[in-house]
Amino acid sequence: MKKVQILVRKELLDILRDKKTLVMMVAVPMLLYPLIIIGMALFFSAMYSSKADQVYCIGYEADEKAFGEELERVLEKHRDDLGTEIELVPLKEQENCAAWLEITGAETGVMRVTIHYTSASQDSRIGKQAAEELLELYRAELVRQRLEAEGLEESILHPVEYEAEDGATLTESMGMDMGGSIGLMLIATILLGAMYPAIDATAGEKERGTLETLLTLPVTNFQMILSKYISVALFTCVTAILSLLSLGGSVLFLMYGIADVGTLPGLSLTALLGAVPVLTAVLLVTALFCSALCMCFCVFAKSFKEANNYVTPVLLAVMFASMAGMLPTVVLDSRTALIPVVNVSLLVKQLISGHLNLALAGIVIGVNLACSILIIWVLAKLYDSETVLFGEGFGSFRIFQKRSEIQGGTIPAPGDVVMTVAVLFLLILYVGSAASVRLGFWGTGVNQLLILLVPLAVVWYLKTDVRRLFVLRKPDFRMIPGSLILYFGTYLLVLGIGNLFIWLFPLSAQNVEAVFLPMVEQPLWALLLVTAVLPGICEELLFRGFLFGSVREYLTKKGAISARTAVLWGMLCSSLVFGAFHMSLVKLLPTALLGACFVWILWKSRSIYVTMFLHFFNNSISLLALKYPEAVGRVFPLLTKESLSPTQVGGLLGAGALIAALGLWLLRSSKKKPGALS
Amino acid sequence: MIRAEGLCKEFERSVRQGRKTRKEKFLAVDHVSLEAKAGEIIGILGPNGAGKTTLLRMLGMLMTPTKGRVELLDGEGRALTDPSERKAAIGYLSGNTRLYPRFSIREYLEFLGQLYGYDKEKIRERIKEIFQVLDMEKFGDNRMEKLSTGQTQRASIARCLMADPDLYILDEPTLGLDILSAESIISFMKQQKDRGKTVLYSTHYLEEAEILCDRIYMICQGRIVAEGTPGELTEQTGSRNLREAFHKIYDSAAEDERYKNMASQNELYESQVKRNKPVMARSSLTADHKAGEGFREEVQRSCQIEKEDKGRSDKERRDGEEWV
Repeated sequence: MKKVQILVRKELLDILRDKKTLVMMVAVPMLLYPLIIIGMALFFSAMYSSKADQVYCIGYEADEKAFGEELERVLEKHRDDLGTEIELVPLKEQENCAAWLEITGAETGVMRVTIHYTSASQDSRIGKQAAEELLELYRAELVRQRLEAEGLEESILHPVEYEAEDGATLTESMGMDMGGSIGLMLIATILLGAMYPAIDATAGEKERGTLETLLTLPVTNFQMILSKYISVALFTCVTAILSLLSLGGSVLFLMYGIADVGTLPGLSLTALLGAVPVLTAVLLVTALFCSALCMCFCVFAKSFKEANNYVTPVLLAVMFASMAGMLPTVVLDSRTALIPVVNVSLLVKQLISGHLNLALAGIVIGVNLACSILIIWVLAKLYDSETVLFGEGFGSFRIFQKRSEIQGGTIPAPGDVVMTVAVLFLLILYVGSAASVRLGFWGTGVNQLLILLVPLAVVWYLKTDVRRLFVLRKPDFRMIPGSLILYFGTYLLVLGIGNLFIWLFPLSAQNVEAVFLPMVEQPLWALLLVTAVLPGICEELLFRGFLFGSVREYLTKKGAISARTAVLWGMLCSSLVFGAFHMSLVKLLPTALLGACFVWILWKSRSIYVTMFLHFFNNSISLLALKYPEAVGRVFPLLTKESLSPTQVGGLLGAGALIAALGLWLLRSSKKKPGALS
Repeated sequence: MIRAEGLCKEFERSVRQGRKTRKEKFLAVDHVSLEAKAGEIIGILGPNGAGKTTLLRMLGMLMTPTKGRVELLDGEGRALTDPSERKAAIGYLSGNTRLYPRFSIREYLEFLGQLYGYDKEKIRERIKEIFQVLDMEKFGDNRMEKLSTGQTQRASIARCLMADPDLYILDEPTLGLDILSAESIISFMKQQKDRGKTVLYSTHYLEEAEILCDRIYMICQGRIVAEGTPGELTEQTGSRNLREAFHKIYDSAAEDERYKNMASQNELYESQVKRNKPVMARSSLTADHKAGEGFREEVQRSCQIEKEDKGRSDKERRDGEEWV
């Protein structure tokens, strides 16, 4: 630890002596907030006052002269009641008029007005609004006159009186309006503050040629990266604190300097002050997270320029996530609190509107802290690799090579896999949902085809040995009984866990059910085709073939870990993505479990046809239970029941675990049965 | 003293064949074994791209060898195993070991002293000593970005001197220096030799190597092609001086390569294995070199495997390949 301390001191001094970093760290937050907040306030008030002073010209053209005169008379009478200063001109002069009125009704004697305006122009919209107000006043006057003539009370027209009153305090409404953008600004400044020292400490070190010198010193790579991280994080924390001070200063200046606090009822300074410790803590944690994230990408770069290129997408992604606070419907709850950056933005919004939920704030801080630690761990691993240290850059994308340069039998690298999954996810999100809207039930089939075609395209481009990657081969029949038993046990477990989730999240579970209900009307063959046969083929090829195969082969080829560990990592990746692809938090865990079970069966039986069949079977059962609840309910009562009792769920979980364990036991011992692992 | 056995480092490179480019692995350092004793200056000579820098980086513990091992002994013959201890015992200097531009030499040396665990008094004394020896009092407190080339080089030497290591690894230390600066480095190496330290250094200046080195290793395409004192090398090749010897040795090595008519060591290796033939003994001055033995053994082992493999049925082999 002593060495880390010495290294940190050196890094800090080095960064401090770089003037550009200091500017980013100190000047940007100190100037940005006053400029933005006070500038905006001045700008809006100036705009408002200029609009208030303006006189809007409304032209009119009437087929009966009396109508126009009437309107002018009403305007003279009520000029002070109107919010906007207007002037009526008896000609349609479109260039100067904000709006013009076309008045007809000479024959009937009933006045009919069409207001012509352009919604694209702010002035025209205000003019239209003023004209409406004027006409409303005129109508009210006429009504009053007529009622008087008939000898009726005015209340006959208004049997009910109502009025809206805003219950929100000024702090709350200000929080709603400004909280989102302040969160975005804070996160953006912190990220910018982290970016520069992160690049300087990693890519800058390589560019200046001092990295090799550093490597000659008696320190380990871990000590080196840890000290670098600590220094970058310290700087970013300073930026965060400065931003907060500057923000606070600007707000105070606004409140005491421009507006008179006495005239802002409900703006409670104490409520805002109470939020400061939590806000500080959250921003510091965000600083830790942002520095780790930036460094993670910068270590790959050989120069400042390259590092900038790598960090820019990160910057955009984080900014995008921090815009969550600006969405009116998104609020901080136990689920949004789990997403880093988004939760910070939402928490800032909540804090500024004067609410403080300590439990949620705790989750936000915990999640960001945990993510930072995870990223630092990855960073430490990355920093140990010579390709990163001696600047070979990314080696994990093969798809960016020209196809003619790719050797036959190439296995997709991790970068390719991640990209395929991301592209597929986006395609399903856009093309898939569009197809579902247009084609209804058959849209699901389009999704499945996407799942099939995207990995096939990647595999074609990389000239991968398809038979090998997708394990298209005859199964090892000795493994079939074990596979079936393992599947059956897992199915019971999945059923039990599913029921547990129904208790925990009743609403979301119902939502999941609701999605499937309209499908029931389809004919059986169509249902089977789209929700059982296609998923059996397409999803198996993607998740078990492409994902698991690529990860496993890549890790095995690298040779640093045993074949068994490679399988487990592949299983983890493939089943998590499998769970996530079902796009429901409730189904994530059970689906992932099923995915893991399929991976093991694939690995043991050495054939994708086995898992294809099991997947088909699995989906068919759920389908039949949905379509023929009575018939299935008679055979498997557990499948169709709305909710199970705790003992039943416990029984399911227990029996499932036992049967699955039996299955695993039957599938064990690869050495005695040479078929499995060869 | 440092001893290396069968050091290998594998890299990837792009090879163009007709219109296609493909990646292939190759050995940048190919089974190199060498030894440098206390009080010796060892020269590593070779053309650009021969693998000198990679070899020195592995010896200096900046890179991990793909294969082989490096043994480092301290003054009392005790093997150093702790990585920090080993790094402290090596003074590594190359064109790539630049210094922090925003620090002064004194600040940097203080930082080093702290890392080596010296107390303040020792750090001050050591810096004073180094400044005197290298005549750096005048510019010792300037930031390093403001130093001239010669001053920078002296600052680098000061960096290596701080820990007073037993072994100096210098990668082309005189490259691009004027005569005076180069001479100061040469006299530095001689001083260290006289103090009983080991110096391992690579250079392109053959005259310099001829005067300075106790022994020379010549390397070409990652392999040692010749080894001996400057006198032995000139004598064996029947040359007048080291420059002539160097040309003869490399011409013969190149001839060797042409004779094999192979683009790279890797291809040679692969094709020999495919054709199930043992690799031809390499005609070099060190034909009985350990590295060569290792190489041959490995190829023969591979051939053996190939033979055994033939015995199995096609299907069996396919299955084995697919799931292991």
